[in-house]
Amino acid sequence: MELLDEFYNSSQYIETASGNKVSRQSVLCGSQNIVINGKTIVMTGCVIRGDLANVRIGRHCVIGQNAVIRPAFKKFSKGVAFFPLSIGDHVLIEEDSVINAAQVGSFVHIGKNCVIGRRSVLKDCCAIADNTVLPPETIVPPFALFSGSPGKMVQDLPDCTQDLMTDITVSYYQHFKPHGKGK
Amino acid sequence: MSAPKAPVNPNLKIMAGALVCEDCELIGDITIGARTVIHPKARIIAEAGPIIIGEFNIIEELVTITNKSSTDANSGKVLIIGNNNVFEVGCHVEAIRIGDHNVIESKAKVGSKVEISNGCIVGCGCILNMNEALPENTVVYGDKCERRIQRERPPAQMLQIDFLTRILPNYHYLMKPNLNVNVRAPVKK
Repeated sequence: MELLDEFYNSSQYIETASGNKVSRQSVLCGSQNIVINGKTIVMTGCVIRGDLANVRIGRHCVIGQNAVIRPAFKKFSKGVAFFPLSIGDHVLIEEDSVINAAQVGSFVHIGKNCVIGRRSVLKDCCAIADNTVLPPETIVPPFALFSGSPGKMVQDLPDCTQDLMTDITVSYYQHFKPHGKGK
Repeated sequence: MSAPKAPVNPNLKIMAGALVCEDCELIGDITIGARTVIHPKARIIAEAGPIIIGEFNIIEELVTITNKSSTDANSGKVLIIGNNNVFEVGCHVEAIRIGDHNVIESKAKVGSKVEISNGCIVGCGCILNMNEALPENTVVYGDKCERRIQRERPPAQMLQIDFLTRILPNYHYLMKPNLNVNVRAPVKK
Protein backbone atom coordinates (compact mmCIF):
# COMPACT_ATOMS: atom_id res chain seq x y z
CA MET A 1 0.00 0.00 0.00
CA GLU A 2 1.33 3.38 -0.95
CA LEU A 3 1.14 6.07 1.71
CA LEU A 4 -0.44 9.37 0.84
CA ASP A 5 1.76 12.44 0.79
CA GLU A 6 1.62 14.38 4.03
CA PHE A 7 2.50 18.02 3.66
CA TYR A 8 3.97 20.24 6.31
CA ASN A 9 4.63 23.92 6.38
CA SER A 10 8.34 24.25 5.63
CA SER A 11 8.67 27.25 7.92
CA GLN A 12 7.44 25.13 10.83
CA TYR A 13 10.14 22.50 10.49
CA ILE A 14 13.90 22.59 10.67
CA GLU A 15 15.71 20.19 8.39
CA THR A 16 19.22 19.28 9.51
CA ALA A 17 22.16 18.24 7.34
CA SER A 18 21.59 14.58 8.18
CA GLY A 19 17.96 14.81 7.07
CA ASN A 20 16.21 15.11 10.41
CA LYS A 21 13.00 17.09 10.33
CA VAL A 22 12.27 18.67 13.67
CA SER A 23 9.22 20.79 14.33
CA ARG A 24 9.82 24.23 15.74
CA GLN A 25 6.90 23.61 18.08
CA SER A 26 8.60 20.64 19.70
CA VAL A 27 10.40 21.02 23.02
CA LEU A 28 13.90 19.62 23.15
CA CYS A 29 15.22 20.18 26.66
CA GLY A 30 18.97 19.96 27.08
CA SER A 31 19.53 19.66 23.35
CA GLN A 32 23.27 19.10 23.83
CA ASN A 33 22.41 15.68 25.28
CA ILE A 34 20.08 14.61 22.47
CA VAL A 35 21.52 12.69 19.52
CA ILE A 36 19.24 12.13 16.54
CA ASN A 37 21.04 10.07 13.95
CA GLY A 38 19.37 11.16 10.75
CA LYS A 39 16.19 11.05 8.66
CA THR A 40 14.09 11.15 11.79
CA ILE A 41 10.90 13.20 12.01
CA VAL A 42 10.05 14.91 15.29
CA MET A 43 6.55 16.33 15.02
CA THR A 44 4.73 19.24 16.62
CA GLY A 45 4.35 19.28 20.40
CA CYS A 46 6.85 16.52 21.15
CA VAL A 47 8.84 16.80 24.34
CA ILE A 48 12.27 15.18 24.52
CA ARG A 49 13.94 15.51 27.93
CA GLY A 50 17.65 15.54 27.22
CA ASP A 51 18.21 17.54 30.40
CA LEU A 52 17.56 14.54 32.63
CA ALA A 53 19.91 12.13 30.83
CA ASN A 54 21.30 11.44 27.37
CA VAL A 55 18.78 10.50 24.68
CA ARG A 56 19.89 8.75 21.51
CA ILE A 57 17.47 8.23 18.67
CA GLY A 58 18.41 6.13 15.62
CA ARG A 59 17.76 6.65 11.93
CA HIS A 60 14.40 6.76 10.16
CA CYS A 61 12.33 7.14 13.31
CA VAL A 62 9.00 8.95 13.42
CA ILE A 63 7.95 10.62 16.66
CA GLY A 64 4.30 11.58 16.50
CA GLN A 65 2.58 14.68 17.80
CA ASN A 66 2.67 15.39 21.53
CA ALA A 67 4.73 12.31 22.31
CA VAL A 68 6.95 12.61 25.38
CA ILE A 69 10.34 10.94 25.51
CA ARG A 70 11.80 11.15 28.96
CA PRO A 71 14.58 9.10 30.56
CA ALA A 72 13.45 7.11 33.59
CA PHE A 73 14.84 7.46 37.06
CA LYS A 74 15.74 4.85 39.60
CA LYS A 75 16.23 5.31 43.29
CA PHE A 76 19.48 4.08 44.77
CA SER A 77 20.65 4.10 48.35
CA LYS A 78 22.55 7.27 47.50
CA GLY A 79 20.30 9.57 45.52
CA VAL A 80 18.54 8.94 42.25
CA ALA A 81 19.91 8.54 38.76
CA PHE A 82 18.21 9.04 35.45
CA PHE A 83 18.97 6.29 32.94
CA PRO A 84 20.13 7.25 29.47
CA LEU A 85 17.49 6.34 26.91
CA SER A 86 18.37 4.84 23.56
CA ILE A 87 15.95 4.28 20.73
CA GLY A 88 17.00 2.13 17.75
CA ASP A 89 16.40 2.61 14.03
CA HIS A 90 13.06 2.50 12.19
CA VAL A 91 10.97 3.13 15.29
CA LEU A 92 7.48 4.52 14.85
CA ILE A 93 6.01 6.29 17.89
CA GLU A 94 2.49 7.56 17.35
CA GLU A 95 0.87 10.59 18.90
CA ASP A 96 0.36 11.26 22.64
CA SER A 97 2.50 8.37 23.83
CA VAL A 98 4.74 8.71 26.86
CA ILE A 99 8.02 6.80 26.67
CA ASN A 100 9.71 6.32 30.04
CA ALA A 101 11.68 3.30 28.85
CA ALA A 102 15.35 2.53 29.42
CA GLN A 103 15.81 1.09 25.97
CA VAL A 104 13.77 0.78 22.80
CA GLY A 105 15.17 -1.56 20.14
CA SER A 106 14.95 -1.20 16.38
CA PHE A 107 11.86 -1.81 14.21
CA VAL A 108 9.47 -1.08 17.08
CA HIS A 109 5.96 0.24 16.63
CA ILE A 110 4.37 2.10 19.55
CA GLY A 111 0.73 3.03 19.02
CA LYS A 112 -1.24 6.10 20.00
CA ASN A 113 -1.79 7.20 23.59
CA CYS A 114 0.48 4.55 25.15
CA VAL A 115 2.36 4.86 28.40
CA ILE A 116 5.61 2.90 28.50
CA GLY A 117 6.49 2.47 32.17
CA ARG A 118 9.74 3.38 33.82
CA ARG A 119 12.87 1.47 32.84
CA SER A 120 10.96 -0.84 30.48
CA VAL A 121 13.03 -2.54 27.81
CA LEU A 122 11.51 -2.94 24.37
CA LYS A 123 13.54 -5.41 22.34
CA ASP A 124 13.86 -5.30 18.54
CA CYS A 125 10.83 -5.97 16.31
CA CYS A 126 8.07 -5.66 18.89
CA ALA A 127 4.86 -3.67 18.82
CA ILE A 128 2.66 -1.94 21.39
CA ALA A 129 -1.03 -1.49 20.51
CA ASP A 130 -2.87 1.82 20.92
CA ASN A 131 -3.85 2.88 24.48
CA THR A 132 -1.56 0.34 26.13
CA VAL A 133 -0.11 0.97 29.59
CA LEU A 134 3.09 -0.96 30.22
CA PRO A 135 3.93 -1.24 33.92
CA PRO A 136 7.41 -0.20 35.07
CA GLU A 137 10.31 -2.54 34.28
CA THR A 138 8.39 -4.55 31.67
CA ILE A 139 10.55 -6.40 29.18
CA VAL A 140 8.90 -6.79 25.80
CA PRO A 141 10.48 -9.70 23.88
CA PRO A 142 11.10 -9.58 20.13
CA PHE A 143 8.15 -10.32 17.81
CA ALA A 144 5.53 -9.74 20.49
CA LEU A 145 2.48 -7.49 20.40
CA PHE A 146 1.52 -6.05 23.79
CA SER A 147 -1.87 -4.57 24.50
CA GLY A 148 -4.16 -3.55 27.39
CA SER A 149 -3.73 -1.95 30.78
CA PRO A 150 -1.59 -3.39 32.27
CA GLY A 151 -0.03 -4.43 28.96
CA LYS A 152 0.12 -8.14 28.23
CA MET A 153 1.32 -10.13 25.26
CA VAL A 154 -1.62 -10.84 22.96
CA GLN A 155 -0.10 -11.97 19.70
CA ASP A 156 3.05 -12.91 17.81
CA LEU A 157 4.30 -10.71 15.04
CA PRO A 158 5.28 -12.12 11.62
CA ASP A 159 8.92 -12.89 10.82
CA CYS A 160 8.94 -10.08 8.28
CA THR A 161 8.32 -7.38 10.94
CA GLN A 162 11.76 -5.95 10.30
CA ASP A 163 11.01 -5.40 6.61
CA LEU A 164 7.52 -4.09 7.32
CA MET A 165 8.79 -1.51 9.78
CA THR A 166 11.62 -0.48 7.46
CA ASP A 167 9.10 0.01 4.66
CA ILE A 168 6.70 2.00 6.82
CA THR A 169 9.26 4.37 8.29
CA VAL A 170 11.18 4.92 5.04
CA SER A 171 8.04 5.58 3.02
CA TYR A 172 6.68 7.83 5.78
CA TYR A 173 9.84 9.90 5.53
CA GLN A 174 9.61 10.03 1.75
CA HIS A 175 5.98 11.12 1.84
CA PHE A 176 6.52 13.75 4.51
CA LYS A 177 7.00 16.68 2.19
CA PRO A 178 7.30 20.40 2.67
CA HIS A 179 4.32 22.43 1.58
CA GLY A 180 4.85 24.44 -1.58
CA LYS A 181 8.53 23.56 -2.00
CA GLY A 182 9.94 23.61 -5.54
CA LYS A 183 7.31 25.93 -6.93
CA MET B 1 13.28 27.56 21.91
CA SER B 2 9.85 29.06 22.38
CA ALA B 3 9.14 32.73 22.11
CA PRO B 4 9.58 34.86 25.22
CA LYS B 5 6.64 34.63 27.58
CA ALA B 6 4.07 37.32 28.21
CA PRO B 7 4.66 39.65 31.18
CA VAL B 8 4.89 37.89 34.50
CA ASN B 9 1.62 37.04 36.16
CA PRO B 10 1.16 39.50 39.09
CA ASN B 11 -0.88 37.00 41.13
CA LEU B 12 1.81 34.36 41.00
CA LYS B 13 3.50 33.68 44.33
CA ILE B 14 6.50 31.41 44.37
CA MET B 15 8.06 30.56 47.74
CA ALA B 16 11.83 30.65 48.08
CA GLY B 17 13.30 27.25 47.26
CA ALA B 18 10.64 26.29 44.71
CA LEU B 19 11.82 25.50 41.21
CA VAL B 20 9.49 26.66 38.46
CA CYS B 21 10.60 26.47 34.84
CA GLU B 22 9.81 29.50 32.78
CA ASP B 23 8.47 27.48 29.87
CA CYS B 24 5.17 26.63 31.57
CA GLU B 25 1.77 28.22 31.61
CA LEU B 26 0.63 29.67 34.93
CA ILE B 27 -2.62 31.60 34.72
CA GLY B 28 -4.45 33.27 37.59
CA ASP B 29 -3.87 33.39 41.33
CA ILE B 30 -1.37 30.63 42.08
CA THR B 31 0.79 30.02 45.15
CA ILE B 32 3.65 27.55 44.86
CA GLY B 33 5.22 26.21 48.06
CA ALA B 34 8.89 25.74 48.87
CA ARG B 35 10.82 22.87 47.27
CA THR B 36 8.10 22.17 44.71
CA VAL B 37 9.46 21.33 41.25
CA ILE B 38 7.47 22.31 38.18
CA HIS B 39 8.83 20.93 34.92
CA PRO B 40 8.62 22.83 31.63
CA LYS B 41 5.34 22.70 29.68
CA ALA B 42 3.14 22.19 32.74
CA ARG B 43 -0.13 24.16 32.75
CA ILE B 44 -1.73 25.45 35.92
CA ILE B 45 -4.88 27.45 35.38
CA ALA B 46 -6.71 29.10 38.24
CA GLU B 47 -9.88 30.19 36.46
CA ALA B 48 -12.60 29.68 39.09
CA GLY B 49 -10.48 30.56 42.10
CA PRO B 50 -6.95 30.49 43.46
CA ILE B 51 -4.72 27.41 43.47
CA ILE B 52 -2.41 26.82 46.42
CA ILE B 53 0.28 24.18 45.95
CA GLY B 54 2.13 22.95 49.04
CA GLU B 55 5.72 21.82 49.52
CA PHE B 56 7.77 19.01 47.99
CA ASN B 57 5.47 18.39 45.03
CA ILE B 58 6.66 17.33 41.59
CA ILE B 59 4.63 18.51 38.62
CA GLU B 60 5.92 17.00 35.39
CA GLU B 61 5.56 18.13 31.80
CA LEU B 62 2.16 18.38 30.04
CA VAL B 63 0.33 18.19 33.35
CA THR B 64 -2.79 20.32 33.50
CA ILE B 65 -4.08 21.46 36.88
CA THR B 66 -7.24 23.51 36.64
CA ASN B 67 -9.42 25.09 39.29
CA LYS B 68 -12.78 24.72 37.61
CA SER B 69 -16.09 25.39 39.25
CA SER B 70 -18.22 22.25 38.93
CA THR B 71 -21.30 24.14 40.18
CA ASP B 72 -22.01 27.80 40.81
CA ALA B 73 -22.00 27.12 44.53
CA ASN B 74 -18.32 26.39 44.75
CA SER B 75 -17.04 28.92 42.28
CA GLY B 76 -14.38 31.05 43.83
CA LYS B 77 -13.23 28.27 46.14
CA VAL B 78 -9.56 27.61 46.59
CA LEU B 79 -7.97 24.46 45.19
CA ILE B 80 -5.48 23.35 47.83
CA ILE B 81 -2.85 20.78 46.94
CA GLY B 82 -0.95 19.41 49.96
CA ASN B 83 2.64 18.29 50.25
CA ASN B 84 4.72 15.50 48.68
CA ASN B 85 2.44 14.85 45.72
CA VAL B 86 3.67 13.67 42.34
CA PHE B 87 1.83 14.57 39.14
CA GLU B 88 3.25 12.49 36.33
CA VAL B 89 3.52 13.34 32.63
CA GLY B 90 0.28 14.36 30.98
CA CYS B 91 -2.18 13.97 33.84
CA HIS B 92 -5.22 16.16 34.10
CA VAL B 93 -6.39 17.38 37.50
CA GLU B 94 -9.44 19.47 38.33
CA ALA B 95 -10.09 18.12 41.83
CA ILE B 96 -11.76 19.93 44.73
CA ARG B 97 -8.88 19.23 47.09
CA ILE B 98 -5.75 17.10 47.09
CA GLY B 99 -4.10 16.00 50.33
CA ASP B 100 -0.55 14.80 50.92
CA HIS B 101 1.60 11.97 49.52
CA ASN B 102 -0.55 11.26 46.47
CA VAL B 103 0.65 10.06 43.09
CA ILE B 104 -1.35 10.92 39.99
CA GLU B 105 0.20 8.82 37.23
CA SER B 106 0.54 9.55 33.52
CA LYS B 107 -2.59 10.36 31.55
CA ALA B 108 -4.87 9.98 34.57
CA LYS B 109 -7.83 12.33 34.74
CA VAL B 110 -9.26 13.57 38.01
CA GLY B 111 -12.60 15.31 37.50
CA SER B 112 -13.83 18.49 39.14
CA LYS B 113 -16.03 16.76 41.76
CA VAL B 114 -13.35 14.49 43.20
CA GLU B 115 -11.66 14.97 46.53
CA ILE B 116 -8.40 13.12 47.10
CA SER B 117 -7.31 12.55 50.70
CA ASN B 118 -3.79 11.32 51.53
CA GLY B 119 -1.56 8.55 50.18
CA CYS B 120 -3.69 7.78 47.12
CA ILE B 121 -2.43 6.57 43.76
CA VAL B 122 -4.43 7.20 40.61
CA GLY B 123 -2.98 4.79 38.06
CA CYS B 124 -2.01 5.38 34.45
CA GLY B 125 -4.94 6.33 32.27
CA CYS B 126 -7.54 6.01 35.05
CA ILE B 127 -10.39 8.46 34.84
CA LEU B 128 -12.29 9.68 37.92
CA ASN B 129 -15.24 11.86 37.02
CA MET B 130 -17.88 10.93 39.59
CA ASN B 131 -18.78 12.95 42.64
CA GLU B 132 -16.63 11.18 45.21
CA ALA B 133 -14.00 11.42 47.90
CA LEU B 134 -11.16 8.90 47.77
CA PRO B 135 -10.44 7.45 51.24
CA GLU B 136 -6.85 7.40 52.49
CA ASN B 137 -4.33 5.14 50.74
CA THR B 138 -6.66 4.21 47.88
CA VAL B 139 -5.09 2.82 44.72
CA VAL B 140 -7.04 3.17 41.48
CA TYR B 141 -5.56 0.92 38.82
CA GLY B 142 -6.09 -0.94 35.56
CA ASP B 143 -8.32 -0.25 32.58
CA LYS B 144 -11.51 -0.77 34.61
CA CYS B 145 -10.34 1.68 37.29
CA GLU B 146 -10.53 -0.93 40.07
CA ARG B 147 -9.91 0.16 43.65
CA ARG B 148 -8.01 -1.23 46.55
CA ILE B 149 -6.64 0.13 49.81
CA GLN B 150 -2.93 -0.22 50.37
CA ARG B 151 -1.30 -0.51 53.77
CA GLU B 152 1.22 2.28 53.41
CA ARG B 153 1.35 5.49 51.49
CA PRO B 154 3.69 5.91 48.53
CA PRO B 155 7.19 7.05 49.56
CA ALA B 156 8.15 10.70 49.37
CA GLN B 157 10.27 11.69 46.39
CA MET B 158 12.83 13.73 48.32
CA LEU B 159 15.82 12.30 46.47
CA GLN B 160 14.28 13.01 43.10
CA ILE B 161 13.48 16.59 44.14
CA ASP B 162 17.07 17.06 45.30
CA PHE B 163 18.35 15.74 41.99
CA LEU B 164 15.99 17.87 39.92
CA THR B 165 16.75 21.05 41.84
CA ARG B 166 20.42 20.40 41.08
CA ILE B 167 20.02 19.52 37.40
CA LEU B 168 17.18 21.66 36.06
CA PRO B 169 18.79 25.10 36.65
CA ASN B 170 21.59 24.06 34.28
CA TYR B 171 19.19 23.70 31.37
CA HIS B 172 16.19 25.94 31.94
CA TYR B 173 15.32 29.51 32.67
CA LEU B 174 13.54 29.63 36.00
CA MET B 175 10.92 31.91 37.43
CA LYS B 176 12.27 33.83 40.38
CA PRO B 177 10.79 33.11 43.81
CA ASN B 178 9.09 36.24 45.11
CA LEU B 179 8.04 35.12 48.56
CA ASN B 180 10.05 34.25 51.63
CA VAL B 181 9.37 30.97 53.35
CA ASN B 182 8.25 32.33 56.69
CA VAL B 183 6.66 35.55 55.57
CA ARG B 184 3.22 34.92 54.11
CA ALA B 185 1.50 38.17 53.29
CA PRO B 186 3.93 40.78 51.97
CA VAL B 187 5.20 40.18 48.47
CA LYS B 188 8.81 41.15 48.11
CA LYS B 189 9.76 42.90 44.95
